[in-house]
Amino acid sequence: MKLFFEIFGYKIPSYGLLIATGVILGNIIIYFYLKRKKMEYNDFIILEAYGGIGAIVGSKLLYLIISFRDIKWQNINSLAKFNSLMSSGFVFYGGLILGVALVLIFGKVHKIDSIKYLRECIFIIPFVHAFGRIGCFMAGCCYGVPYNGKIGVIFPKDSFALSGIKLLPIQLIEAICLIIISAVIFYLHNKKHIESTIEIYLILYSITRFIIEFYRYDSIRGKLFLFSTSQWISLVIFLFSLIYLIRRRKNVLF
Amino acid sequence: MGVASLVLGIVALVIAVFSGGSLGWIGLLMAIVGIVLGALGRKDPEKKGIATGGLVCSIVAASLGLILFIACAACASGASSGLKSLF
Repeated sequence: MKLFFEIFGYKIPSYGLLIATGVILGNIIIYFYLKRKKMEYNDFIILEAYGGIGAIVGSKLLYLIISFRDIKWQNINSLAKFNSLMSSGFVFYGGLILGVALVLIFGKVHKIDSIKYLRECIFIIPFVHAFGRIGCFMAGCCYGVPYNGKIGVIFPKDSFALSGIKLLPIQLIEAICLIIISAVIFYLHNKKHIESTIEIYLILYSITRFIIEFYRYDSIRGKLFLFSTSQWISLVIFLFSLIYLIRRRKNVLF
Repeated sequence: MGVASLVLGIVALVIAVFSGGSLGWIGLLMAIVGIVLGALGRKDPEKKGIATGGLVCSIVAASLGLILFIACAACASGASSGLKSLF
C-alpha cells in the first residue's frame, strides 16, 4: 500500500497512475475489439471523452452533495483549498449517471449510435473501475471495516486509511468482483449473443455495490435511514434495470 | 476543430507540467474537450493531420492529469491534509 510510486526519482501518485493504466489498457483492448467488430474507434473516442467529462463532473457533484453539510465552506478561502476540494473526493455513481447521460445526449448531437457503442463496450467500464479500486487500496481510501482475519491488512501511517488496525481490504475484493462482472458481460455478449449488456452490468454492479457498502468504513458515507447514499442508488438502479430487462423481449437472460 | 484541439492539448499539457498541482483538474477537463475536438476534426480528411496532433497532445495531457492530479481522497471521505481542514 503506497501513496506514491518512485519512478526515475519522481513521486507519482499511485491512485492516479493506476487509473491512467486502467484507461490506457482499456482503450487498447477496445481498439482491437472494435476493429474486429468493424466499428469506428474514432467515434468511441468521442463518446469516451464525453463520458469522461460526465464521470469527473458527476462524481464530484455527488460527492459535494453527500458531503455538503460536512464541508466547512467558510474554510475554502484560498485557491489552494478550493483546488484541494476539487481534486479529491469522488463518488462513482455520480460519474456513471452523468457519464452515461452525456454519452447518450452527445451521441445524438454528433449522430453516433451511442446505444450500440454502450452495449458493445460496456464490459470495459468495470475493467477500468477495477484499476481504480486497486488504486484506492494503494492510497488507503474507501477502506473496509476492522477485520482480524487472515486477509486483514494494516495500512501505513501516511495512507488515507485508519492506521494501526487490521482492516478488510474491501477495495481489492471489489476489484475482483469488477473483473468478474467484466468477464461475465463479455462472455454473455460475445459467446451467448445476449444484447442486454447495459442492463446486466447495472444489475450486477448494483448488487455488488449494495453488499460491499456494508463493509466500508470510511468516514463520510452519506447515510439516509438504514442505508448509505450508494446503497439507495444501487436499489433504484437495480429495480429500474430489472424492470427494463424483463420488458425487453429480445435476447433476455431468462 | 483540429486547431482548437491542438491549442487545448498544448495548454492542458503546460498546465499539467507546470502548475504544480494547483490547476490540474482544469487541465484535465480542457484535455478531454481537446480529445473531443481532435476526434471530430479527424473526420475531415483535409485537416486530419492537425486534428491528430491535437488529439495526441490532449491524450497525453489527460493522462498526465489523471496520473498527477486526481487523488481519490476516499471517494466520499476526506483524509488528505488539505481536505482535513475543510471538514
